Formats: sequence, C-alpha cells, structure tokens
Amino acid sequence: MGGKALGLWQTLVYGAGGLLIFLGGWEALVRLGVIDAYFLPAPSDVLRRMGAMAAGPDAVLLHDVRMSAQRVLMGFVLSAAIGVPLGLVMGMSRRVRALLGPIVSIIRPLPALSWIPLSMLWLGIDEQQKYAIVFMGSFASVLVYTTDATLRVDQTLIIAARNLGASRLQTVLHVMLPGALPNILSGLKVVLAIAWTCVISAEMVGANSGLGFRIWTAKEWSDTGQVLVGMLSISLTVLVLDILFRGLERLLLPWQRESGRS
Amino acid sequence: MTQAVIQAREVGMRFHTREGELAALEDFSLDVHKGEVVCLVGASGCGKSTFLNIVAGFLAPTAGQVLLEGQPISGVEPRCGMIFQNYALFPWMTVLDNVAFGPRVNGASKPERTERARHWIRVVGLKGFEQAYPGELSGGMQQRVALSRALANEPEVLLCDEPFAALDAMTRQILQQELLRVVAESRKTVLFITHSIDEALILSNRLVVMSARPGRVKAVYENDLPQPRTLDVQLTDRFLELKREVWDLVQEEVVGSMTALQRP
Repeated sequence: MGGKALGLWQTLVYGAGGLLIFLGGWEALVRLGVIDAYFLPAPSDVLRRMGAMAAGPDAVLLHDVRMSAQRVLMGFVLSAAIGVPLGLVMGMSRRVRALLGPIVSIIRPLPALSWIPLSMLWLGIDEQQKYAIVFMGSFASVLVYTTDATLRVDQTLIIAARNLGASRLQTVLHVMLPGALPNILSGLKVVLAIAWTCVISAEMVGANSGLGFRIWTAKEWSDTGQVLVGMLSISLTVLVLDILFRGLERLLLPWQRESGRS
Repeated sequence: MTQAVIQAREVGMRFHTREGELAALEDFSLDVHKGEVVCLVGASGCGKSTFLNIVAGFLAPTAGQVLLEGQPISGVEPRCGMIFQNYALFPWMTVLDNVAFGPRVNGASKPERTERARHWIRVVGLKGFEQAYPGELSGGMQQRVALSRALANEPEVLLCDEPFAALDAMTRQILQQELLRVVAESRKTVLFITHSIDEALILSNRLVVMSARPGRVKAVYENDLPQPRTLDVQLTDRFLELKREVWDLVQEEVVGSMTALQRP
C-alpha cells in the first residue's frame, strides 16, 4: 500500500486540513455569490442554524435526534435479536439453509421504502410502523451476514475442539459462537447504517417527528438551511453510534486488540 | 510382544467425488506400539492424512478396521490428540484457556484444569506466556501451545499432521528435539506424518514409506540411528544411506503417479 503508515497526529492534521479546505471553499463560494445561498447556505449559517435549533426553548433538533435514534435502535435490536440466532442456525445446518434461503433471497433486495405502503395499512403511522420498517429493511441483511460469518469459522478449529473431547453443543458454544463473532459484529455495523437509511425514509413519508420528518418539512418550505442541519445531524449521530459500536467491539473482542490487526 | 496401541487391519478408504470413486487407502495395515514414534512418509495425496483422520475417528474406513488398545474406534476419539500444521489454536482464548480447553470440556473443575494447564505450559517452556493470546506468539511458540494443549488432555497417542511444515528450519529443529524430549518424558505414542525424509529420520523409531494413491505400506524401516539425532548423526554415512534409500522409494512413487496421471 506504499509508504509508511501515518501517526495519529498526522492523521488528525490531514483530516482537519481536508475538512477546512472543503468547508472554507464552500463558505467562500457562497460569500462571493458564486453559489446562491437560497440553494446552498454557507456552512457558518448552517452551524448557526443548528445551534438555534438545538438550543431554542423547545430544542426541536435534540428531540428529532432522540426519536430517530430510538426508532433505529428498536428496529435494529429486534432484527439482531431474531436474525443473529437464526443466522447461526442457518450457518450450521444445510437443511435450514436450504429451507430459508429462497425466502431470504426474496426479502433481501426489497428497499425499506417498498415496505411503507403495507406497513402503513397494517400499523398506521405510529412508532410500531417505524420499527417495522427498520426491521424489514435490516433483518434479511442480519441473516445473511450472520450465516456467512458462521460458515467462515475455521473448520480446523471445530475438528480440534471435537478432538479434545468437546460435545457438539460445547463446540457450538465455545468455538462456533466466538469464532463467528468478529464477522457478525462487522456485519451488524453495516446493518446499523442500513437501519438509518430505513428510518429516514420512513420518517419522510409518514411521521411528525424525527430527522427524516424535519428534512422533509423543511423542503416544503424551501428551507435549505434546515435541510442541511437535518443531514448534518444524521452524519453526526451515525458517527457517534459508530464510535460506540467500535467500543463494544473492543470490549467483546479483546484478543483482536491484543494482536493488533486481525 | 505386548498388544499394539494402534492396530490398522487392511484399512481401505474410498471417497465419492465428482470425478467418480477415489481410493485413498487400500489394504493399509500397520501396528504402532506403546512409546513408539512412527513416521509416515509419502508423496502428497498418498492418503497419510486420511489415515490420521481415521485413527482420530473423524472418518470411518470403508474397508477393514482400526483398533485402539484392542477396541474398534467408533466416533471421535479424544484418546488420540491431534496436532495440526496450522496449530488450530482458538484465537479468542489465552494460552492458558487454550491448554485448559480439553480438561474443561471433559468436566475438570476450574482449579484442577488451571493447574494441569500451567503444568503442561511449563513443560513446553512457555511459562510466563499464560495470559498471552495466540496472535501475539510466533509460529514456533504457537505450536508449543498446541503440543501442550494436546498433552493436557492426557491422550494415549499423539497424531501429528505435518506440524512443523510451516516453521523455519531453525525453529523446526528445536521443536523436533522438544517433541522427542516431551514424548519420552510422558511416555506417549506418536504417529507423525511428514513429507520431509530428514524429519522422519530424526524423529522416528520406525519409518513407514507409503505408496502413491491408493496408499499402502510400501516399506518399513526400523530406524536404528543413535539418539539423540544431532547434526553429527545427520552427517553419518548411515543417515545418508537411509535417506537415499527412502528417497528412492518415495521418488519412484511420485514418478509413478505422475505418469499415471498423464495417461489419457
């Protein structure tokens, strides 16, 4: 990959530099009138607007973030709670895999948006409908990632465990599960991002709170500032969740931390 | 003579593959006695690993049978501890937990299995590395862990499937001596697969040359080289003479199987 690795400080300096150039250029283009602020407000205005929306008497932005995050987490936890155990079983049993494979293949390509009409008919537009959208949009991916992670557990480790006298159940608990865990977790990290796109879509179509709702109503008023505040909030929230998830990974996989890269 | 620990009686193994039936072993008979180190040498694909997997109980032979201490092997056999070329350590467990795994799944209490694991870790010279993860250790150290993990389970037989093939030459020599020392101390029986004739001559009491597929016993050598087989022994006429003899046999098989493949 050419060259030496960058140190932590260098990485930070380069990252901040890139960001400054990007934002500075943007700011300048708007200030100089090259870009009409009506179509794209300057970053300084977006930040000011964000501060106002977060700080104001009703702190509407924080409420939106909380609502969206809650919907994402409920739907995500639900699909992980069902998808991970089922995916493990699929990874371990050819029969179950053959039985469920076609169903998964049918559900998986469906975008979360396509579930909106049915879910609204069935559940209205209350919270359960949002959970359902996130669930339907992420469940099949959880299954596929978990099945794949289970299939990729080193077969020699299973043979070694059986050779040492482990029963089938002990092999599943002590070898298959921890062996599949790293790939399950990286799969879930991808699914968490998918869950966010699901909830934003769901909120744009039928909701009265949440970041997707906020962006969509702003569009009705041609309030590009608020649209950008909403988009920026999505990025920041996902960033925070990603950091939390990494922390969880380090906690659950101490052996990968000790040995550096895996 | 006492009863052999492993008795293979006219063992045959056929696999069904896409290309049709494949005979991996045919009429393979071999006795391994207590305390012996028997090395199986042969060209790749001669069924060495297949035989090891039969002894470990992972494969059931399609003909003949293998007896362990007089009893037919039925199912996975923890009395035969395996050592793999790629170590097969559990990367998420510390060295201590890896070595304690066998006693743990066999129901030993925590203090008991910890004590046993510590003992065998010390025997293979890894005292102080109990809390390390396998990923932090060199290949040679990982194979020491694998050896102590197998021994902590107190097997009758050690089944070694080219365990040193992935190591550098220096480490391999050291581990060969370590293996012999540990095996002698613990009075274990060893069935060792290798494609290195040097390694087989250094380790074995008896050296079995296998034919190309289907694998049979082509020749058996009682290895009378003096112990320990230091570099001096490896430079003696007797060593070189044996090496040439074995090499000629193995080469015959390799060439034979290659011309067989070329036939339309």
